[in-house]
Amino acid sequence: MEMVFIAAAIIIGLGALATGIGFGLLGGKLLESTARQPEMANQLQTKTFIMAGLLDAVPMIGVGIAMYLIFVVAG
Amino acid sequence: MSKNRSRITHLPLARWLTIEFSLIVILSLLWTIESRLAGYSAFVGGLIFVIPNAYFAHRMYRFEGARNAHRMVGNMFRAESIKIALTAVFFAAVFILMEPVHVPALLFTFAVMVMMSAVLRFLIRPQPQR
Repeated sequence: MEMVFIAAAIIIGLGALATGIGFGLLGGKLLESTARQPEMANQLQTKTFIMAGLLDAVPMIGVGIAMYLIFVVAG
Repeated sequence: MSKNRSRITHLPLARWLTIEFSLIVILSLLWTIESRLAGYSAFVGGLIFVIPNAYFAHRMYRFEGARNAHRMVGNMFRAESIKIALTAVFFAAVFILMEPVHVPALLFTFAVMVMMSAVLRFLIRPQPQR
């Protein structure tokens, strides 16, 4: 039973780590490119929004599966 | 001042949410063929994705423009954290409070909505406005 909790913790932890790294890079590039071309700020924000959706797609599914493991399989 | 400088791009969020809700209803009706419980679970699975995503979009577009770039990025990080936390809380609430639940319908609809949202962001182009 403990293995289920460890599996869920690994899924959520690695997903959070990857999302954190990805969003850090994304936010850093957004700030950098906005500083270079301030007139493009709104278009860059929209493109960041699009990339954010792609970035957190897999970790979101991971969260769902981890919750299933914790509350249905182990519970 | 150049003409391009005064243009503000906005995502058509209302249309986007309408398409997502329509997709949830279609998927729920398809799952209803199997059973009523599956259709209900599929609808809940879709809502678990759409509600945190709508919050994310609302929070991310709170600030616009180069002067607010640091606030924009800060809001994006907070919005993403809250979105993942809300998703986890909603899943936990459904698995604890909703009894019985058709898990394959719930997770399948959620996964399809996640994938479709990523595709929709490419298909629905931002609209320049004054």
